[in-house]
Amino acid sequence: MAKYQLNINNENVEVEALEDTPLLWVLRDNLDLTGTKFGCGKGLCGACTVHLDGNPIRSCSTPVSAIGKRKVTTIEGISANGLNAVQKAWIEEDVPQCGYCQVGQIMSATALLERKPNPTDADINSAMSGNICRCGTYVRIRKAIKKAAAG
Amino acid sequence: MKTNRRNFIKVSGAGSGALVLGFTLPGFKQKEAELFEPNAFLKITADNVVTIQAKNPEIGQGVKTSLPMIIAEELEVDWKKVIVEQAPYNSRLGSQFAGGSTAIKTNWESLRQAGAAAKQMLKMAASRKLNVPMNQLMAKSGEIINQQNQQKLTYGELVDMAASLGTPEDPPLKEAKDYNLIGTWQGGVDNEKLVTGSIDFGVDAKVEGMLYAAILKSPVFGGKVLSIDDSEALKIPGVKQVLQFEGLENPVWMIGGVAVIADSTWAAFKGKNALKVEWDNQGNETESSENLTNQFRDNTSKTGEIQLRTNGNVADAFNDADEILETEYEVPFLSHAPMEPQNYLADVKEDAIALNGSTQVPGSARFLASMVSDIARDNITAEMTRVGGGFGRRLLADYAAEAAKISKEIGAPVKVVWDREDDVTHDYYRPAGMYKFRVGLKNGSMSAWHINASTTSRYMYRGSSDSHHGTEVFPDGFPAGFVPNFKMEYTPVKTAVPTGAWRAPGHNATAFVDQSMIDEVAHALNKDPLKYRLELLGDGDKIMPYDDHGGPTYSTARLRKVLNKVAEMSNWDSNPPNGRYRGVAMHFMFGAYVAEVVEVSVQNNQPKVEKVYAAVDCGIVINRSGALNQIEGGIIDGVSITMNGAITIKNGKPEQSNFDTYKLLRMNEAPEIEVELIESAEHPEGLGEISLPPVPAAVCNAIFAATGKRIRKLPVSGSGLS
Repeated sequence: MAKYQLNINNENVEVEALEDTPLLWVLRDNLDLTGTKFGCGKGLCGACTVHLDGNPIRSCSTPVSAIGKRKVTTIEGISANGLNAVQKAWIEEDVPQCGYCQVGQIMSATALLERKPNPTDADINSAMSGNICRCGTYVRIRKAIKKAAAG
Repeated sequence: MKTNRRNFIKVSGAGSGALVLGFTLPGFKQKEAELFEPNAFLKITADNVVTIQAKNPEIGQGVKTSLPMIIAEELEVDWKKVIVEQAPYNSRLGSQFAGGSTAIKTNWESLRQAGAAAKQMLKMAASRKLNVPMNQLMAKSGEIINQQNQQKLTYGELVDMAASLGTPEDPPLKEAKDYNLIGTWQGGVDNEKLVTGSIDFGVDAKVEGMLYAAILKSPVFGGKVLSIDDSEALKIPGVKQVLQFEGLENPVWMIGGVAVIADSTWAAFKGKNALKVEWDNQGNETESSENLTNQFRDNTSKTGEIQLRTNGNVADAFNDADEILETEYEVPFLSHAPMEPQNYLADVKEDAIALNGSTQVPGSARFLASMVSDIARDNITAEMTRVGGGFGRRLLADYAAEAAKISKEIGAPVKVVWDREDDVTHDYYRPAGMYKFRVGLKNGSMSAWHINASTTSRYMYRGSSDSHHGTEVFPDGFPAGFVPNFKMEYTPVKTAVPTGAWRAPGHNATAFVDQSMIDEVAHALNKDPLKYRLELLGDGDKIMPYDDHGGPTYSTARLRKVLNKVAEMSNWDSNPPNGRYRGVAMHFMFGAYVAEVVEVSVQNNQPKVEKVYAAVDCGIVINRSGALNQIEGGIIDGVSITMNGAITIKNGKPEQSNFDTYKLLRMNEAPEIEVELIESAEHPEGLGEISLPPVPAAVCNAIFAATGKRIRKLPVSGSGLS
């Protein structure tokens, strides 16, 4: 076990964990930030997506010891004032079915729009194809991203 | 369903400053009817807040939104102001269950009556307060209005008096033409919590002092522990204990394994991976998909063990035929792979258990927890979280039994957490099977249809006394009844590979083989595949017997209607867009009708599904958005299993274990989807499964149109085409 100083959602926290513990389990078990979900453990499905210095990463396969001073943003910290444009569009398009993957989808979509405010279908494909939705809400996710982009 | 209404709806908590109606929804045991125990509630408080409990587990099928909408419609309240709560499992009563696309169809009448009864009581209360006759009053947006002078009383102002009145016996129900909520587009009631990650799924459940358990199971199906070396596992910081446990007598209840109990999920996972266990494979290490295919082929080459349907005489018809088509179709095992891997929390105390987690069957979770603990079911509570996908996997509660078993053994609350590999390699798969056809053609029409099927049987796997063909093939399904000489036979295959219900059980395979074969017949007869289906159905409305879930009959007119609609939507009579090729399929299931047209393109021998059109008749639509979401999702699921879905068995275990090998459709592969819902005043039917079954045939029929290659073995990725 080792101690790690992390910056999560703009707060400095100290956690004690095995050095190979994935960030996902530190968030969920140590810090009770359970919005980030476990799906595959191997970076294959995107359910665990969080931002590291603004870039989407798979927290299930990123060990806590590799985070260092970089800033971690989870769904709990994605929008300081109410819902962000992506979250609002998700509600307007009634995207979720079971809803389990949607936090990861929203984290990927939010990062996409920060990088490309007006994404093409090809941009959406490349940014979102790492996030599986087993319920098959892709049609609505695409629509919601375009709606969020249009403002 | 016949209900004694006096027992069905009652005022609860009179004098509490609120109108609380308790009512009993289907699943209620009639013999207990004398003892009124409601399993759902509708509450209106003096401050005008309306709370409706949603009874069924929410697994993504949208019932937490759609069921309360039915009450709100009759009650005449502003939907945006209604609070919807998830009802916990009721300790004594009733079916709270998600499966078979049944929630809407079985609760429709009761929910309408509950809403109407409450409205009637509020009107009666207003009638007394205002001293005006009932027929002068109307209910609207949470108020009772005196139509003569527009005087208004809010529901909140009436609840005290309403609660002192008896429940009406036959409250008038609204007519469909007066609906202003049912049929509208409403977002899910949990959406805001879902997009902020602030709602609990099973995996998020936590109680004080809780430990985590990861379980190693025999990699070969049915294996038993010979010896355990847990020395490395116990060295991992945080690992508390290693515990071996036996399975229950039925493998669908619980299989045994070796549990690693730890103070964090990660330590439990690490501990599991550090275990060294020797297994006795019970001889199952020789099982393989190849073996099973050989058995299927052998069985379908001889008389089936179960003769399911005979019309006319196929042997004579084949002797007399101009041409005989002989084909062999095959489907693989499929994993459910819901996004939330299995998990469950149990806190077993001396004489009570608190359960919490993701399940389609909270009642089974209690049943199994009682079995492994010897604690009476009445002392077991089951909270229901939101569920991260079901697809049939969570109709079994094996993981809940594990949690109860381990919690009892170690004397602490335990959350069992499966990783994705556990989920994919210890699933209860969609049965694999083979379907052999002989179809006779005579004078430009189909004279004989003989289907001989052999599949692994989920009924046989769970040791059910029901016939082993159960839900693997459907003797009344189309084209039965439309071919003069017809024969259907079936042989189950016993295997250690676990099988269970997978979205649209049976139909997910039979619609593929039947609707592909019909396409082959149409091509052999040189007929347009869509028009050939219309021709087979014929004119008028034939009410066809259908002795299965969704029956007892189906209507050919309704089936024809969805076919004609999808033809119109897809411009079937014109050429498809450049570079695209079309296929069609249709299906009746669980009371609903669907026809789909798929457009594919093929580049460098790689087929891609570009667009799917679907026309669906499910009777009255409750929530338009929820209905479309289910249909769109079923189509994506269908494309996914058609293109890539397969669990293959080698050396007694699956060759797939995570999403790198068990592939699910992704954004870049997802087709455009266009859906039309047929306007209907018919009884509402379930929608959670119906759009999936026609997809594989429609896709493969389109691939045939594009390439001339007939896909008879799923998935397409194994066909050499992609």
